[in-house]
Amino acid sequence: MSTIEIKNLTKKFLRSGANESTAVTAIESLDLRIEDGEFFTLVGPSGCGKSTLLDILAGLSTPSHGEVLVDGEPISGPSLERSVVFQQYALFPWLTAAANVLVGLESQARHGQGPNKADRRARAHEYLRLVGLEGVEDKYPHELSGGMRQRVAIARALAHEPKVLLMDEPFAALDAQTREQLQDLLLDIWKRTRTTIVFITHGIEEAVYLGQKVAVMSAKPGKITEIVDIELQDRQAVDDIRSTRQFGEYRHYLWTLLHRHGRQGEEATIDKTLITSGASA
Amino acid sequence: MSTLVLPDQQVRVENTTVRHVRPTRRLGASLRKTLYRSGAIIGFLLVWELVPQFVLEPASRVFLPPLHEVLQQLWKMIISGDLGTHIVASLGRSAIGFILAVIIGVPVGLVVAWFAKVGDFLNPLLEVFRNTAALALLPVFTLLLGIGELSKVSIVLYAAFFPVLLNTILGARSVDPLLIRAGKTLGLNNFEIFSKVVLPASVPIIFTGIRMAGTSAVLVLIAAEMIGAKAGLGYLITNSQASFLIPKMYAAILTVAVLGFVVNAALVALEQHFSRWARA
Repeated sequence: MSTIEIKNLTKKFLRSGANESTAVTAIESLDLRIEDGEFFTLVGPSGCGKSTLLDILAGLSTPSHGEVLVDGEPISGPSLERSVVFQQYALFPWLTAAANVLVGLESQARHGQGPNKADRRARAHEYLRLVGLEGVEDKYPHELSGGMRQRVAIARALAHEPKVLLMDEPFAALDAQTREQLQDLLLDIWKRTRTTIVFITHGIEEAVYLGQKVAVMSAKPGKITEIVDIELQDRQAVDDIRSTRQFGEYRHYLWTLLHRHGRQGEEATIDKTLITSGASA
Repeated sequence: MSTLVLPDQQVRVENTTVRHVRPTRRLGASLRKTLYRSGAIIGFLLVWELVPQFVLEPASRVFLPPLHEVLQQLWKMIISGDLGTHIVASLGRSAIGFILAVIIGVPVGLVVAWFAKVGDFLNPLLEVFRNTAALALLPVFTLLLGIGELSKVSIVLYAAFFPVLLNTILGARSVDPLLIRAGKTLGLNNFEIFSKVVLPASVPIIFTGIRMAGTSAVLVLIAAEMIGAKAGLGYLITNSQASFLIPKMYAAILTVAVLGFVVNAALVALEQHFSRWARA
């Protein structure tokens, strides 16, 4: 569990043209604080720099300006403390499901941390069970469906017990039913482990369903236009919370925010205070 | 602590997609398929057997003896152990050259792929060598290394080296960058990314190169043996022709064909074994 602070973050890419290189600003002067144990979702149109932001949080890419602190320490590259779940699963196809889950645990062991060999195997199986995959330990990724592959990827990201889980549109490639199952699975895991989760999506509904906070990003250059606190009760305690009035209001509010930036100048038609007062009722 | 209620049912349903076919029907179908596929070969062998006997004039029949005469000759050579000696000579040379090519080609390919600057420097030269037919260089090899074993093994090594090298470079370069990113976030350092991600990911393409190398190792060797050698299948072919032992020549050619086929089939099986996971 960790607090993430992003201070004045700017990321520029060099695009090489015919004669000269031009700098494209993907993210501009972004400030953000994500609290310890928070489920934080980021929603925005494609090309708004949300994946770039996740790359920087993962340590796979470095900021052009500004800094990112995790528990007060600047990020200096990828780390087992911050796991990533990618949209395209990114499982190693030559390894079985269990061996995939073991990769992070074995890196940990090489640094003299984590469980011993027998316990590592047990841990891999335990995490596969946690994501609902008992009995597929020895199957290869190509023998599994998309939903099952993403479950393996989640188990792999969690098995070494990272402080932060970064998720880059992890359910975007799945069918609607599988997506809902995995959303519930993720909420269950989060409630149990209280890992800080940063979840990127372009689905407004997904952002509202999962996040305690939803940050709305706009493109060109990428920045956060608003952070909305989602004060819904336990998602799974209510039958079909997505059809409640409150959920619908959040959804619509975020929709308006996202579309307002397409048409500059227009104001959001929904008063935000309406929703927050509704939450306490 | 909340307990997890997981949608097990769905997972199980996703898993049952195997189609069941009755075994007897499958057997019959595969038999028919095999027959159909060997039809062209059987037809070819029939033409070989019948045309010299019933179509060709006796004068030209000498140059193309019917299949049964060739097979009789082949059998004689097998019994006498004559054929075995030549096969061992050829296979030994091919195997040594081929194995050396793999031992050198794979590591060099990985280095070239990993260090982009080395690759940029060497690539033009590699392209020149690759596009020079190995046999065009045979006189050079003979001049420099004589007509003994060394020049034979060297030309095989040369011919087998480039498919291995170029496919290793291609394989290592075409690794999905996403897997490398995933490896980094799972705590792998640069060397581990290389040994645990890049190398296994390129195995299928490397093995395609190895298969191509095996085939060209046999092909090039036969040709080299035809030009200057004291044993081997290539030598057997030219020597029989020069001695006007025509059935013997065809028997040697037939052996070369079968050998090439067997080597290729073995390497294909090996390739498939090492890339089972890539068949998505």
